[in-house]
Amino acid sequence: MGKPLIHRSPMPGLGLSMGITLTMLSLVVLLPIGALLLKGASYGLAGIWETVNRDRVWAALFLSFHLSLLAALFNLVFGLLLAWVLVRYRFPGRRILDAAVDLPFALPTAVAGISLTALYAPNGFFGQIAAEIGWKIAYTQWGIFIALVFVGLPFVTRTVQPVVEEIEREVEEASASLGASRLHTIRHVILPMLSPAALTGFALALARAVGEYGSVIFIAGNIPLVTEIAPLLIIIQLEEFNYDAAAAIGIAMLLISFAMLLAINLIQVWSRRRIGYV
Amino acid sequence: MSDASLAKPARFRPATEEAPVARWAMIAAAFLGLGILVFAPLIAVFVEALARGVAASLASLATRDAQEAIKLTLTIAAISVPLNAIFGVAAAWFITKFDFRGKAFLITLIDLPFSVSPVVAGLCIVLMFGANSAIGGWLVAQGYPIVFAMPGIILATMFVTFPFVARELIPVMIEQGRAEEEAALTLGASGWRTFWTVTIPNIRWALLYGVLLCNARAMGEFGAVAVVSGKIRGQTATMPTTIEMLYQEYLSVAAFSLAAVLALLALVTLLLKTALEIRHADQLAATHRH
Repeated sequence: MGKPLIHRSPMPGLGLSMGITLTMLSLVVLLPIGALLLKGASYGLAGIWETVNRDRVWAALFLSFHLSLLAALFNLVFGLLLAWVLVRYRFPGRRILDAAVDLPFALPTAVAGISLTALYAPNGFFGQIAAEIGWKIAYTQWGIFIALVFVGLPFVTRTVQPVVEEIEREVEEASASLGASRLHTIRHVILPMLSPAALTGFALALARAVGEYGSVIFIAGNIPLVTEIAPLLIIIQLEEFNYDAAAAIGIAMLLISFAMLLAINLIQVWSRRRIGYV
Repeated sequence: MSDASLAKPARFRPATEEAPVARWAMIAAAFLGLGILVFAPLIAVFVEALARGVAASLASLATRDAQEAIKLTLTIAAISVPLNAIFGVAAAWFITKFDFRGKAFLITLIDLPFSVSPVVAGLCIVLMFGANSAIGGWLVAQGYPIVFAMPGIILATMFVTFPFVARELIPVMIEQGRAEEEAALTLGASGWRTFWTVTIPNIRWALLYGVLLCNARAMGEFGAVAVVSGKIRGQTATMPTTIEMLYQEYLSVAAFSLAAVLALLALVTLLLKTALEIRHADQLAATHRH
Protein backbone atom coordinates (compact mmCIF):
# COMPACT_ATOMS: atom_id res chain seq x y z
CA MET A 1 0.00 0.00 0.00
CA GLY A 2 1.72 3.34 -0.73
CA LYS A 3 0.92 6.31 1.44
CA PRO A 4 -1.98 5.90 3.83
CA LEU A 5 -5.09 7.90 2.94
CA ILE A 6 -5.00 9.79 6.23
CA HIS A 7 -1.90 9.87 8.44
CA ARG A 8 -2.36 9.06 12.12
CA SER A 9 -2.30 12.20 14.21
CA PRO A 10 -2.57 12.99 17.91
CA MET A 11 -4.91 15.90 17.03
CA PRO A 12 -8.51 15.47 18.12
CA GLY A 13 -11.59 16.19 16.03
CA LEU A 14 -10.72 14.33 12.84
CA GLY A 15 -14.16 12.76 12.46
CA LEU A 16 -16.08 15.90 13.36
CA SER A 17 -14.12 18.34 11.21
CA MET A 18 -14.00 15.97 8.25
CA GLY A 19 -17.71 15.23 8.64
CA ILE A 20 -18.75 18.89 8.70
CA THR A 21 -16.41 19.78 5.83
CA LEU A 22 -17.46 17.01 3.48
CA THR A 23 -21.18 17.15 4.32
CA MET A 24 -21.52 20.90 3.85
CA LEU A 25 -19.28 20.96 0.77
CA SER A 26 -21.41 18.25 -0.82
CA LEU A 27 -24.76 19.73 0.13
CA VAL A 28 -24.05 23.34 -0.76
CA VAL A 29 -21.62 23.10 -3.68
CA LEU A 30 -20.97 19.66 -5.14
CA LEU A 31 -24.49 18.20 -5.35
CA PRO A 32 -25.99 21.30 -7.01
CA ILE A 33 -23.15 21.43 -9.56
CA GLY A 34 -23.63 17.69 -10.03
CA ALA A 35 -27.32 18.31 -10.70
CA LEU A 36 -26.38 20.75 -13.49
CA LEU A 37 -23.92 18.29 -15.04
CA LEU A 38 -26.48 15.46 -14.72
CA LYS A 39 -29.07 17.58 -16.47
CA GLY A 40 -26.55 18.25 -19.22
CA ALA A 41 -25.74 14.54 -19.49
CA SER A 42 -29.39 13.61 -19.84
CA TYR A 43 -29.76 16.28 -22.47
CA GLY A 44 -26.74 14.93 -24.31
CA LEU A 45 -23.87 16.70 -26.04
CA ALA A 46 -25.91 16.92 -29.22
CA GLY A 47 -28.76 18.58 -27.33
CA ILE A 48 -26.42 21.09 -25.67
CA TRP A 49 -24.86 21.88 -29.03
CA GLU A 50 -28.28 22.38 -30.60
CA THR A 51 -29.23 24.90 -27.89
CA VAL A 52 -25.92 26.74 -27.89
CA ASN A 53 -25.55 26.80 -31.65
CA ARG A 54 -28.00 29.64 -32.20
CA ASP A 55 -27.10 33.17 -33.17
CA ARG A 56 -28.52 34.68 -30.01
CA VAL A 57 -26.61 32.29 -27.69
CA TRP A 58 -23.33 32.62 -29.61
CA ALA A 59 -23.67 36.39 -29.59
CA ALA A 60 -24.25 36.40 -25.81
CA LEU A 61 -21.34 34.03 -25.09
CA PHE A 62 -19.01 35.97 -27.39
CA LEU A 63 -20.07 39.27 -25.83
CA SER A 64 -19.58 38.00 -22.26
CA PHE A 65 -16.16 36.49 -22.89
CA HIS A 66 -14.65 39.14 -25.13
CA LEU A 67 -15.75 42.11 -23.00
CA SER A 68 -14.58 40.26 -19.87
CA LEU A 69 -11.21 39.74 -21.50
CA LEU A 70 -10.92 43.43 -22.40
CA ALA A 71 -12.02 44.52 -18.90
CA ALA A 72 -9.53 42.13 -17.28
CA LEU A 73 -6.76 43.47 -19.54
CA PHE A 74 -7.60 47.03 -18.50
CA ASN A 75 -7.56 45.93 -14.86
CA LEU A 76 -4.23 44.19 -15.38
CA VAL A 77 -2.56 47.44 -16.47
CA PHE A 78 -4.37 49.72 -14.03
CA GLY A 79 -3.99 47.18 -11.20
CA LEU A 80 -0.22 47.00 -11.69
CA LEU A 81 -0.02 50.79 -11.66
CA LEU A 82 -2.14 50.99 -8.49
CA ALA A 83 -0.11 48.33 -6.69
CA TRP A 84 3.12 50.15 -7.54
CA VAL A 85 1.80 53.57 -6.52
CA LEU A 86 0.32 52.29 -3.24
CA VAL A 87 3.45 50.42 -2.15
CA ARG A 88 6.29 52.59 -3.44
CA TYR A 89 5.07 56.16 -3.08
CA ARG A 90 4.08 58.17 -0.03
CA PHE A 91 1.51 60.90 -0.62
CA PRO A 92 -1.50 62.35 1.17
CA GLY A 93 -4.63 60.25 0.71
CA ARG A 94 -2.74 57.00 0.14
CA ARG A 95 -4.60 55.11 2.88
CA ILE A 96 -7.96 56.20 1.50
CA LEU A 97 -6.98 55.10 -2.00
CA ASP A 98 -5.79 51.78 -0.60
CA ALA A 99 -9.10 51.19 1.18
CA ALA A 100 -11.11 52.35 -1.85
CA VAL A 101 -9.59 49.62 -4.01
CA ASP A 102 -11.71 47.10 -2.08
CA LEU A 103 -15.01 48.93 -2.52
CA PRO A 104 -16.06 46.81 -5.53
CA PHE A 105 -15.76 43.75 -3.25
CA ALA A 106 -17.91 45.33 -0.56
CA LEU A 107 -20.52 47.21 -2.60
CA PRO A 108 -23.41 44.92 -3.65
CA THR A 109 -23.51 44.43 -7.42
CA ALA A 110 -27.09 45.66 -7.79
CA VAL A 111 -26.12 48.92 -6.07
CA ALA A 112 -23.11 49.33 -8.36
CA GLY A 113 -25.33 48.56 -11.33
CA ILE A 114 -27.97 51.23 -10.75
CA SER A 115 -25.35 53.75 -9.67
CA LEU A 116 -23.18 53.29 -12.77
CA THR A 117 -26.32 53.55 -14.90
CA ALA A 118 -27.27 56.82 -13.21
CA LEU A 119 -23.79 58.18 -13.93
CA TYR A 120 -23.43 57.07 -17.54
CA ALA A 121 -27.03 57.39 -18.78
CA PRO A 122 -27.42 60.20 -21.38
CA ASN A 123 -28.72 62.54 -18.64
CA GLY A 124 -26.17 61.37 -16.05
CA PHE A 125 -23.05 63.15 -14.83
CA PHE A 126 -20.56 61.39 -17.11
CA GLY A 127 -23.18 60.53 -19.72
CA GLN A 128 -23.83 64.19 -20.45
CA ILE A 129 -20.14 64.92 -20.97
CA ALA A 130 -19.78 61.92 -23.27
CA ALA A 131 -22.94 62.87 -25.18
CA GLU A 132 -21.38 66.21 -26.10
CA ILE A 133 -18.81 64.40 -28.23
CA GLY A 134 -21.47 62.00 -29.47
CA TRP A 135 -20.30 59.08 -27.32
CA LYS A 136 -23.05 56.85 -25.94
CA ILE A 137 -21.92 54.77 -22.97
CA ALA A 138 -24.92 53.41 -21.05
CA TYR A 139 -27.04 50.85 -22.93
CA THR A 140 -24.10 50.05 -25.25
CA GLN A 141 -21.16 47.66 -24.96
CA TRP A 142 -19.15 50.51 -23.41
CA GLY A 143 -21.49 50.41 -20.42
CA ILE A 144 -20.96 46.69 -19.98
CA PHE A 145 -17.19 47.21 -20.22
CA ILE A 146 -17.26 49.85 -17.47
CA ALA A 147 -19.35 47.64 -15.17
CA LEU A 148 -16.95 44.72 -15.72
CA VAL A 149 -13.92 46.95 -15.03
CA PHE A 150 -15.60 48.00 -11.76
CA VAL A 151 -16.23 44.47 -10.46
CA GLY A 152 -12.76 43.23 -11.43
CA LEU A 153 -10.81 46.25 -10.19
CA PRO A 154 -9.41 44.92 -6.87
CA PHE A 155 -8.05 41.54 -8.01
CA VAL A 156 -4.75 42.43 -9.75
CA THR A 157 -3.87 45.14 -7.21
CA ARG A 158 -4.45 42.82 -4.28
CA THR A 159 -2.43 39.93 -5.70
CA VAL A 160 0.48 42.11 -6.88
CA GLN A 161 0.77 44.41 -3.83
CA PRO A 162 2.42 41.87 -1.48
CA VAL A 163 4.92 40.92 -4.19
CA VAL A 164 5.95 44.55 -4.77
CA GLU A 165 6.50 44.84 -1.01
CA GLU A 166 8.91 41.92 -1.10
CA ILE A 167 11.06 43.08 -4.01
CA GLU A 168 14.57 43.64 -2.72
CA ARG A 169 16.00 47.02 -3.62
CA GLU A 170 19.40 45.42 -4.13
CA VAL A 171 18.13 43.79 -7.31
CA GLU A 172 17.14 47.16 -8.73
CA GLU A 173 20.42 48.69 -7.56
CA ALA A 174 22.37 45.92 -9.25
CA SER A 175 20.49 46.49 -12.47
CA ALA A 176 21.04 50.25 -12.29
CA SER A 177 24.73 49.91 -11.45
CA LEU A 178 25.20 47.68 -14.48
CA GLY A 179 24.06 50.61 -16.56
CA ALA A 180 20.39 49.81 -17.15
CA SER A 181 18.06 52.76 -17.45
CA ARG A 182 15.12 52.92 -15.02
CA LEU A 183 12.71 51.93 -17.79
CA HIS A 184 14.93 49.01 -18.76
CA THR A 185 15.06 47.84 -15.12
CA ILE A 186 11.28 48.02 -14.80
CA ARG A 187 10.73 46.12 -18.04
CA HIS A 188 13.35 43.41 -17.65
CA VAL A 189 13.76 43.05 -13.88
CA ILE A 190 10.64 44.19 -12.04
CA LEU A 191 7.80 43.24 -14.39
CA PRO A 192 8.99 39.62 -14.76
CA MET A 193 8.96 39.28 -10.96
CA LEU A 194 5.41 40.60 -10.80
CA SER A 195 4.03 38.66 -13.73
CA PRO A 196 2.97 35.40 -11.98
CA ALA A 197 0.99 37.33 -9.34
CA ALA A 198 -0.39 39.68 -11.98
CA LEU A 199 -1.54 36.73 -14.06
CA THR A 200 -3.28 35.22 -11.03
CA GLY A 201 -5.11 38.49 -10.47
CA PHE A 202 -5.94 38.70 -14.16
CA ALA A 203 -7.46 35.20 -14.08
CA LEU A 204 -9.54 36.03 -11.00
CA ALA A 205 -10.79 39.29 -12.54
CA LEU A 206 -11.63 37.47 -15.76
CA ALA A 207 -13.56 34.71 -13.98
CA ARG A 208 -15.47 37.29 -11.98
CA ALA A 209 -16.34 39.35 -15.05
CA VAL A 210 -17.53 36.40 -17.12
CA GLY A 211 -20.10 35.41 -14.51
CA GLU A 212 -21.09 38.92 -13.49
CA TYR A 213 -24.78 39.73 -13.65
CA GLY A 214 -25.94 42.31 -11.11
CA SER A 215 -23.81 45.27 -12.07
CA VAL A 216 -24.19 44.67 -15.81
CA ILE A 217 -27.91 44.20 -16.49
CA PHE A 218 -28.93 47.72 -15.53
CA ILE A 219 -26.37 49.50 -17.71
CA ALA A 220 -26.41 46.99 -20.59
CA GLY A 221 -29.75 47.76 -22.19
CA ASN A 222 -30.09 43.99 -22.82
CA ILE A 223 -30.76 44.12 -26.55
CA PRO A 224 -30.58 40.57 -28.02
CA LEU A 225 -27.52 40.03 -30.24
CA VAL A 226 -26.02 43.39 -29.21
CA THR A 227 -25.86 43.90 -25.44
CA GLU A 228 -27.31 40.69 -24.01
CA ILE A 229 -24.83 38.86 -21.74
CA ALA A 230 -24.76 35.08 -21.26
CA PRO A 231 -25.92 35.03 -17.59
CA LEU A 232 -28.99 37.07 -18.56
CA LEU A 233 -29.82 34.55 -21.26
CA ILE A 234 -29.85 31.82 -18.58
CA ILE A 235 -32.28 33.85 -16.50
CA ILE A 236 -34.55 34.45 -19.51
CA GLN A 237 -34.65 30.71 -20.22
CA LEU A 238 -35.44 30.00 -16.55
CA GLU A 239 -38.28 32.51 -16.52
CA GLU A 240 -39.77 30.65 -19.48
CA PHE A 241 -39.32 27.37 -17.50
CA ASN A 242 -36.97 26.22 -20.24
CA TYR A 243 -34.68 24.31 -17.85
CA ASP A 244 -32.92 22.26 -20.55
CA ALA A 245 -31.81 25.33 -22.47
CA ALA A 246 -30.76 27.14 -19.27
CA ALA A 247 -28.69 24.11 -18.24
CA ALA A 248 -27.10 23.88 -21.69
CA ILE A 249 -25.98 27.53 -21.63
CA GLY A 250 -24.82 27.15 -18.02
CA ILE A 251 -22.67 24.14 -18.95
CA ALA A 252 -21.25 25.95 -21.98
CA MET A 253 -20.27 28.85 -19.70
CA LEU A 254 -18.67 26.51 -17.15
CA LEU A 255 -16.68 24.71 -19.87
CA ILE A 256 -15.41 27.90 -21.51
CA SER A 257 -14.41 29.47 -18.15
CA PHE A 258 -12.60 26.33 -17.00
CA ALA A 259 -10.77 26.13 -20.34
CA MET A 260 -9.72 29.78 -19.99
CA LEU A 261 -8.56 29.33 -16.39
CA LEU A 262 -6.63 26.21 -17.43
CA ALA A 263 -4.93 28.15 -20.23
CA ILE A 264 -3.97 30.94 -17.85
CA ASN A 265 -2.60 28.41 -15.34
CA LEU A 266 -0.48 26.86 -18.07
CA ILE A 267 0.86 30.29 -19.11
CA GLN A 268 1.68 30.91 -15.46
CA VAL A 269 3.57 27.62 -15.07
CA TRP A 270 5.43 28.38 -18.29
CA SER A 271 6.32 31.94 -17.27
CA ARG A 272 7.52 30.80 -13.85
CA ARG A 273 9.71 28.17 -15.42
CA ARG A 274 11.13 30.62 -17.95
CA ILE A 275 11.84 33.33 -15.43
CA GLY A 276 12.79 30.95 -12.66
CA TYR A 277 10.98 32.96 -10.00
CA VAL A 278 8.50 31.23 -7.74
CA MET B 1 15.36 52.53 5.21
CA SER B 2 16.60 54.09 2.01
CA ASP B 3 15.37 57.45 3.28
CA ALA B 4 18.97 58.42 4.07
CA SER B 5 19.57 58.81 0.36
CA LEU B 6 16.89 61.49 0.24
CA ALA B 7 19.04 63.77 2.38
CA LYS B 8 21.53 64.11 -0.46
CA PRO B 9 21.17 66.99 -2.90
CA ALA B 10 17.83 66.66 -4.57
CA ARG B 11 19.09 66.77 -8.14
CA PHE B 12 20.77 63.37 -7.74
CA ARG B 13 17.84 61.02 -8.05
CA PRO B 14 18.59 57.53 -6.66
CA ALA B 15 18.86 55.03 -9.48
CA THR B 16 16.09 52.91 -8.01
CA GLU B 17 13.43 55.59 -8.23
CA GLU B 18 11.37 56.93 -11.08
CA ALA B 19 11.73 60.50 -12.29
CA PRO B 20 9.48 62.90 -10.30
CA VAL B 21 7.41 63.58 -13.42
CA ALA B 22 6.70 59.89 -13.89
CA ARG B 23 5.96 59.46 -10.21
CA TRP B 24 3.44 62.30 -10.06
CA ALA B 25 1.85 61.23 -13.33
CA MET B 26 1.28 57.76 -11.89
CA ILE B 27 -0.15 59.10 -8.64
CA ALA B 28 -2.46 61.38 -10.64
CA ALA B 29 -3.56 58.43 -12.78
CA ALA B 30 -4.33 56.42 -9.64
CA PHE B 31 -6.47 59.23 -8.20
CA LEU B 32 -8.21 59.88 -11.51
CA GLY B 33 -8.90 56.19 -12.18
CA LEU B 34 -10.23 55.42 -8.71
CA GLY B 35 -12.11 58.72 -8.67
CA ILE B 36 -14.03 57.85 -11.83
CA LEU B 37 -14.38 54.13 -11.23
CA VAL B 38 -14.95 53.90 -7.47
CA PHE B 39 -15.64 57.23 -5.76
CA ALA B 40 -18.07 58.55 -8.38
CA PRO B 41 -20.46 55.55 -8.22
CA LEU B 42 -20.33 55.63 -4.42
CA ILE B 43 -21.21 59.33 -4.27
CA ALA B 44 -23.87 58.90 -6.97
CA VAL B 45 -25.78 56.43 -4.76
CA PHE B 46 -26.21 59.03 -2.02
CA VAL B 47 -26.88 61.92 -4.41
CA GLU B 48 -29.66 59.98 -6.12
CA ALA B 49 -31.10 58.75 -2.81
CA LEU B 50 -31.35 62.31 -1.50
CA ALA B 51 -32.53 63.81 -4.80
CA ARG B 52 -35.88 64.75 -3.27
CA GLY B 53 -34.69 65.41 0.24
CA VAL B 54 -34.00 63.38 3.34
CA ALA B 55 -37.68 63.06 4.27
CA ALA B 56 -38.67 61.46 0.94
CA SER B 57 -35.76 59.08 1.23
CA LEU B 58 -36.62 58.04 4.78
CA ALA B 59 -40.31 57.67 3.89
CA SER B 60 -39.43 55.25 1.10
CA LEU B 61 -37.45 53.16 3.58
CA ALA B 62 -40.45 53.04 5.92
CA THR B 63 -42.72 51.35 3.36
CA ARG B 64 -43.78 47.78 3.99
CA ASP B 65 -41.87 46.39 0.99
CA ALA B 66 -38.63 48.03 2.09
CA GLN B 67 -39.07 46.92 5.71
CA GLU B 68 -39.81 43.32 4.70
CA ALA B 69 -36.81 43.30 2.36
CA ILE B 70 -34.48 44.57 5.09
CA LYS B 71 -35.85 42.00 7.54
CA LEU B 72 -35.43 39.17 5.04
CA THR B 73 -31.87 40.16 4.13
CA LEU B 74 -30.89 40.35 7.81
CA THR B 75 -32.47 36.94 8.48
CA ILE B 76 -30.69 35.35 5.51
CA ALA B 77 -27.34 36.74 6.63
CA ALA B 78 -27.97 35.72 10.25
CA ILE B 79 -28.44 32.10 9.14
CA SER B 80 -26.01 31.67 6.27
CA VAL B 81 -23.00 33.55 7.67
CA PRO B 82 -22.73 31.52 10.94
CA LEU B 83 -23.19 28.28 8.99
CA ASN B 84 -20.36 29.26 6.64
CA ALA B 85 -18.23 30.31 9.62
CA ILE B 86 -18.70 26.86 11.17
CA PHE B 87 -17.81 25.29 7.84
CA GLY B 88 -14.75 27.53 7.50
CA VAL B 89 -13.41 26.65 10.94
CA ALA B 90 -14.10 22.92 10.48
CA ALA B 91 -12.53 22.87 7.01
CA ALA B 92 -9.47 24.84 8.17
CA TRP B 93 -9.04 22.50 11.16
CA PHE B 94 -9.39 19.40 8.98
CA ILE B 95 -6.99 20.74 6.33
CA THR B 96 -4.30 22.19 8.61
CA LYS B 97 -4.27 19.74 11.54
CA PHE B 98 -4.24 16.50 9.57
CA ASP B 99 -2.23 15.07 6.69
CA PHE B 100 -4.19 13.28 4.04
CA ARG B 101 -4.14 12.59 0.33
CA GLY B 102 -6.08 14.88 -1.96
CA LYS B 103 -5.68 17.98 0.22
CA ALA B 104 -4.93 20.28 -2.73
CA PHE B 105 -7.94 18.88 -4.56
CA LEU B 106 -10.19 19.53 -1.55
CA ILE B 107 -8.98 23.16 -1.39
CA THR B 108 -9.72 23.52 -5.12
CA LEU B 109 -13.25 22.23 -4.53
CA ILE B 110 -13.78 24.70 -1.67
CA ASP B 111 -12.64 27.54 -3.98
CA LEU B 112 -14.91 26.38 -6.80
CA PRO B 113 -17.78 28.84 -6.07
CA PHE B 114 -15.43 31.76 -6.88
CA SER B 115 -15.12 30.61 -10.48
CA VAL B 116 -18.80 29.77 -10.99
CA SER B 117 -21.14 32.56 -12.10
CA PRO B 118 -23.71 33.39 -9.38
CA VAL B 119 -26.42 32.91 -11.99
CA VAL B 120 -25.11 29.43 -12.76
CA ALA B 121 -24.97 28.78 -8.99
CA GLY B 122 -28.64 29.69 -8.71
CA LEU B 123 -29.40 27.53 -11.73
CA CYS B 124 -27.66 24.56 -10.06
CA ILE B 125 -29.80 24.97 -6.95
CA VAL B 126 -33.00 25.24 -9.02
CA LEU B 127 -32.07 22.05 -10.90
CA MET B 128 -31.25 20.23 -7.65
CA PHE B 129 -34.11 21.36 -5.44
CA GLY B 130 -36.70 22.83 -7.85
CA ALA B 131 -40.22 21.35 -7.95
CA ASN B 132 -39.27 19.56 -11.20
CA SER B 133 -36.40 17.60 -9.64
CA ALA B 134 -36.78 14.32 -7.74
CA ILE B 135 -35.65 15.73 -4.39
CA GLY B 136 -37.42 19.05 -4.84
CA GLY B 137 -40.69 17.41 -5.90
CA TRP B 138 -40.66 15.18 -2.84
CA LEU B 139 -39.87 18.09 -0.51
CA VAL B 140 -42.68 20.20 -2.02
CA ALA B 141 -45.07 17.28 -1.49
CA GLN B 142 -44.02 17.20 2.18
CA GLY B 143 -44.71 20.92 2.43
CA TYR B 144 -41.09 22.08 2.44
CA PRO B 145 -40.45 23.98 -0.78
CA ILE B 146 -36.79 25.02 -1.24
CA VAL B 147 -36.82 27.07 -4.43
CA PHE B 148 -38.88 30.29 -4.41
CA ALA B 149 -38.70 30.12 -0.61
CA MET B 150 -36.29 31.00 2.18
CA PRO B 151 -34.22 27.75 2.20
CA GLY B 152 -33.33 28.26 -1.47
CA ILE B 153 -32.16 31.82 -0.84
CA ILE B 154 -30.05 30.60 2.07
CA LEU B 155 -28.50 27.82 -0.03
CA ALA B 156 -27.75 30.25 -2.89
CA THR B 157 -26.20 32.75 -0.47
CA MET B 158 -24.12 30.01 1.15
CA PHE B 159 -22.94 28.82 -2.26
CA VAL B 160 -21.54 32.18 -3.36
CA THR B 161 -19.98 32.99 0.03
CA PHE B 162 -18.78 29.43 0.72
CA PRO B 163 -14.98 29.91 0.46
CA PHE B 164 -14.63 33.23 2.34
CA VAL B 165 -13.96 32.07 5.92
CA ALA B 166 -12.03 28.92 5.01
CA ARG B 167 -9.73 30.82 2.62
CA GLU B 168 -8.90 33.35 5.30
CA LEU B 169 -8.25 30.77 8.04
CA ILE B 170 -6.26 28.13 6.15
CA PRO B 171 -3.10 30.22 5.50
CA VAL B 172 -3.15 31.62 9.04
CA MET B 173 -3.49 28.18 10.64
CA ILE B 174 -0.79 26.70 8.40
CA GLU B 175 1.58 29.42 9.54
CA GLN B 176 0.74 28.95 13.22
CA GLY B 177 1.42 25.23 13.04
CA ARG B 178 0.27 22.60 15.49
CA ALA B 179 2.79 23.02 18.32
CA GLU B 180 0.57 25.05 20.67
CA GLU B 181 -2.34 22.64 20.36
CA GLU B 182 0.01 19.69 20.86
CA ALA B 183 1.38 21.29 24.01
CA ALA B 184 -2.12 21.82 25.42
CA LEU B 185 -3.09 18.22 24.64
CA THR B 186 0.10 16.86 26.22
CA LEU B 187 -0.70 18.83 29.36
CA GLY B 188 -3.99 17.00 29.55
CA ALA B 189 -6.49 19.47 28.05
CA SER B 190 -9.42 17.94 26.25
CA GLY B 191 -9.84 18.43 22.51
CA TRP B 192 -12.63 21.02 22.91
CA ARG B 193 -10.79 22.88 25.65
CA THR B 194 -7.71 23.07 23.42
CA PHE B 195 -9.87 24.37 20.59
CA TRP B 196 -11.57 27.08 22.66
CA THR B 197 -8.60 28.24 24.75
CA VAL B 198 -5.70 27.80 22.31
CA THR B 199 -6.92 27.76 18.71
CA ILE B 200 -9.79 30.27 18.83
CA PRO B 201 -7.75 33.06 20.51
CA ASN B 202 -5.07 32.53 17.85
CA ILE B 203 -7.44 32.76 14.91
CA ARG B 204 -10.11 35.13 16.20
CA TRP B 205 -9.06 38.18 14.13
CA ALA B 206 -8.67 36.16 10.97
CA LEU B 207 -12.07 34.58 11.68
CA LEU B 208 -13.65 38.00 12.17
CA TYR B 209 -12.05 39.22 8.94
CA GLY B 210 -13.46 36.28 6.99
CA VAL B 211 -16.91 36.68 8.57
CA LEU B 212 -16.89 40.39 7.69
CA LEU B 213 -16.25 39.73 3.99
CA CYS B 214 -18.68 36.81 3.98
CA ASN B 215 -21.40 38.98 5.53
CA ALA B 216 -20.92 41.84 3.06
CA ARG B 217 -21.29 39.48 0.14
CA ALA B 218 -24.20 37.58 1.76
CA MET B 219 -26.25 40.75 2.25
CA GLY B 220 -25.47 42.04 -1.23
CA GLU B 221 -25.81 38.89 -3.31
CA PHE B 222 -28.04 39.49 -6.28
CA GLY B 223 -27.51 37.11 -9.23
CA ALA B 224 -27.83 33.79 -7.41
CA VAL B 225 -30.70 35.04 -5.23
CA ALA B 226 -32.56 36.51 -8.22
CA VAL B 227 -32.64 33.04 -9.79
CA VAL B 228 -33.84 31.05 -6.78
CA SER B 229 -36.04 33.53 -4.93
CA GLY B 230 -38.86 34.16 -7.39
CA LYS B 231 -38.77 37.76 -6.06
CA ILE B 232 -42.16 37.56 -4.35
CA ARG B 233 -42.77 40.91 -2.67
CA GLY B 234 -42.96 40.82 1.09
CA GLN B 235 -41.96 37.15 1.07
CA THR B 236 -38.83 36.32 -0.91
CA ALA B 237 -37.65 39.73 -2.12
CA THR B 238 -34.30 40.57 -0.49
CA MET B 239 -32.82 44.07 -0.43
CA PRO B 240 -30.89 43.73 -3.73
CA THR B 241 -33.84 42.18 -5.59
CA THR B 242 -36.19 44.85 -4.19
CA ILE B 243 -33.76 47.52 -5.45
CA GLU B 244 -34.06 46.00 -8.92
CA MET B 245 -37.88 45.94 -8.80
CA LEU B 246 -38.11 49.54 -7.58
CA TYR B 247 -35.63 50.67 -10.21
CA GLN B 248 -37.55 48.94 -13.02
CA GLU B 249 -40.67 50.75 -11.84
CA TYR B 250 -38.84 54.10 -12.12
CA LEU B 251 -39.10 54.62 -8.33
CA SER B 252 -35.60 56.06 -8.37
CA VAL B 253 -35.55 57.62 -4.90
CA ALA B 254 -36.88 54.44 -3.27
CA ALA B 255 -34.39 52.24 -5.17
CA PHE B 256 -31.42 54.45 -4.35
CA SER B 257 -32.46 54.88 -0.71
CA LEU B 258 -32.39 51.14 -0.21
CA ALA B 259 -29.13 51.06 -2.18
CA ALA B 260 -27.71 53.74 0.12
CA VAL B 261 -28.40 51.51 3.14
CA LEU B 262 -26.37 48.74 1.48
CA ALA B 263 -23.67 51.24 0.48
CA LEU B 264 -23.39 52.35 4.12
CA LEU B 265 -23.01 48.71 5.09
CA ALA B 266 -20.23 48.40 2.51
CA LEU B 267 -18.48 51.48 3.95
CA VAL B 268 -18.72 50.12 7.51
CA THR B 269 -17.32 46.81 6.26
CA LEU B 270 -14.36 48.57 4.62
CA LEU B 271 -13.75 50.64 7.74
CA LEU B 272 -13.71 47.61 10.04
CA LYS B 273 -11.60 45.68 7.55
CA THR B 274 -9.02 48.48 7.36
CA ALA B 275 -8.99 48.77 11.15
CA LEU B 276 -8.35 45.02 11.46
CA GLU B 277 -5.58 45.24 8.88
CA ILE B 278 -3.88 48.05 10.77
CA ARG B 279 -4.22 46.66 14.30
CA HIS B 280 -3.90 42.93 13.76
CA ALA B 281 -1.86 42.67 10.57
CA ASP B 282 0.31 39.91 12.03
CA GLN B 283 -2.70 37.65 12.59
CA LEU B 284 -4.33 38.00 9.19
CA ALA B 285 -3.68 36.11 5.98
CA ALA B 286 -4.61 38.98 3.68
CA THR B 287 -1.78 41.25 4.73
CA HIS B 288 0.98 38.71 4.24
CA ARG B 289 -0.37 36.29 1.71
CA HIS B 290 2.01 35.19 -0.98
